[in-house]
Amino acid sequence: MTPGNDGLHLAVEVAGLRLKNPLLAASGTFGYGVEYAGILDLSLLGGIVTKGLYLEPRDGCPTPRIAETPSGLLNAIGLQGVGVRAFVKEVLPRLAPYDTAVVVNVCGDTVEEYAEVTRIVDAVPGVAAVEINISCPNVKVGGMAFGGDPEMTYAVVAAVRKATRLPVIPKLSPNVADISVFARAAEDAGADALSCINTLLGLAVDVETRRPRLAFGTGGLSGPAIRPIAVRMAWQAARAVRIPVIGVGGIGSGADALEFMIAGCRAVQVGTANFVDPGVYARILSELRAYLERHGLRDINDVVGALAFPGDPAPLGVHS
Amino acid sequence: MPANRDAPLVARVPLDGPYVLLTFRHPEVAAEARAGQYVMIKAGTSADLPLRRPFSVMAVSAEHETFTIFLKAVGAGSRALADLRPGEPAQCLGPLGRPFTAPPEKSEALMVAGGYGIAPFALFCDELLRRGRTARVFYGGRTAADLQVREAFAERGVALVAATEDGSLGHRGRVTEPLEAYLDAGALRPTLFACGPDAMLHAVARLAARRGLPAEVSLDPWMGCGIGTCLGCVVPIQRADEPRPRYRCACTEGPVFDAVTVVWTGDDASLARRRALEETTA
Repeated sequence: MTPGNDGLHLAVEVAGLRLKNPLLAASGTFGYGVEYAGILDLSLLGGIVTKGLYLEPRDGCPTPRIAETPSGLLNAIGLQGVGVRAFVKEVLPRLAPYDTAVVVNVCGDTVEEYAEVTRIVDAVPGVAAVEINISCPNVKVGGMAFGGDPEMTYAVVAAVRKATRLPVIPKLSPNVADISVFARAAEDAGADALSCINTLLGLAVDVETRRPRLAFGTGGLSGPAIRPIAVRMAWQAARAVRIPVIGVGGIGSGADALEFMIAGCRAVQVGTANFVDPGVYARILSELRAYLERHGLRDINDVVGALAFPGDPAPLGVHS
Repeated sequence: MPANRDAPLVARVPLDGPYVLLTFRHPEVAAEARAGQYVMIKAGTSADLPLRRPFSVMAVSAEHETFTIFLKAVGAGSRALADLRPGEPAQCLGPLGRPFTAPPEKSEALMVAGGYGIAPFALFCDELLRRGRTARVFYGGRTAADLQVREAFAERGVALVAATEDGSLGHRGRVTEPLEAYLDAGALRPTLFACGPDAMLHAVARLAARRGLPAEVSLDPWMGCGIGTCLGCVVPIQRADEPRPRYRCACTEGPVFDAVTVVWTGDDASLARRRALEETTA
């Protein structure tokens, strides 16, 4: 990887995946990527994580599906999608012209379905890695049910591991008491990296009708409201395992991305901010460059894990 | 192609009550927007209310590179926009969505608006008048104060029929009543276009179905992104060649839909179709 014109290195390596910068679009917030093709330059992104894909197309949840909450977005979309075969046939070729890593988010109602979806994407060119969705709170089977039990987490990750030679990246649920248990289960099952975290289970009530604001009832909370929780959980996961962690939760600026990286994340995903501002990637990249210059650094990797946490030994390579 | 940019406010015209007209400089919207399309707009970068809001384009000036929206400040998000001062920018992504379809030759366009649903019809009248076509507007609301910007249509020489539920302006009752009277009087091959509250859109759709008239409705569900990726704004739509409804994004496949394809809430005839969809949902 060559540095930019300014001599700054933004490239990172995660799970054997070389990304030209640490920014990926988070699953469920960027469609299949092609929706944004006319609005921003997809080649700006280090990578794109697709909307979750099952074997078959899904209708998703009834409406209303989204509610705006303080600094957040509560959603119960229910993994509406075209299915993995339509994705591979119709969408994936349209992503080929862009210089960005395509990570496919795989879903399943059963362990076998996760493996089958994975086998399908493993067999086609243009896929850089597989992210395993074991943390969606808005489906009645699968999803968080797998991510809320360490043995099920192990089983799903092991099955996907067996189904592909691509890097395997489970996306962990924050709706657990101790995320490090799940991080270790995923690592033991052969995961190459972890995405931390998915949305937090929430409930918003319409006081006039005394009904939930979402038709599904509960939903997943995202956006700036969850960022401190996400940073904490990504940090806990990163301390628990040797594999790299990709931080996600409420990132909308360079400083937000840096919080996760300093806390130990090798890369980050931008989620809800995609809905708010399609210009977010260009802005974050310029803010990361400005940060490196301001701190006399040349390589973004120098900040990874540089957190001086009270009581910890001083981190290696930190410029004091 | 929609363009995302900070668009400065160039004019602000306060109207009665919570209503205001805002004009932004945005060359792409000014050049490309068609009636029924919208712009996702947010004032400032506060994280407190993260999302942008969709607003119909009411008028454009290619010469000044501007577009105008008609805003009713009802919540904190729209109030922040309404409070913008000239020179201050708003984040604007547009133009977005599927516009109204021009009616066939020799068909009279009948536009039915409820409250701030009037906005796209000013631009629609501009488009039709430019081509020598005629239009007529039926404008309903609870009370006279809800029927703002009527003079925009007078300036364009477009006939406007007002209806208020309290009788404070025009016909006393629902806007569909003078519409029906006009149709009974023998309108010339009318095509209906509606924008406003769901109940009004549904009434227009029923009326059109009963009379065998073509109709388009502009739906206004909560939208997260405007690009078709959050899947928050989906509506159940069933086209003639489809065995059952499918959720479609109002932001990209709408907001304008053929009225007969919409599966309405609270409609017995739609209930079975809606159930067929919900049985398959998560």
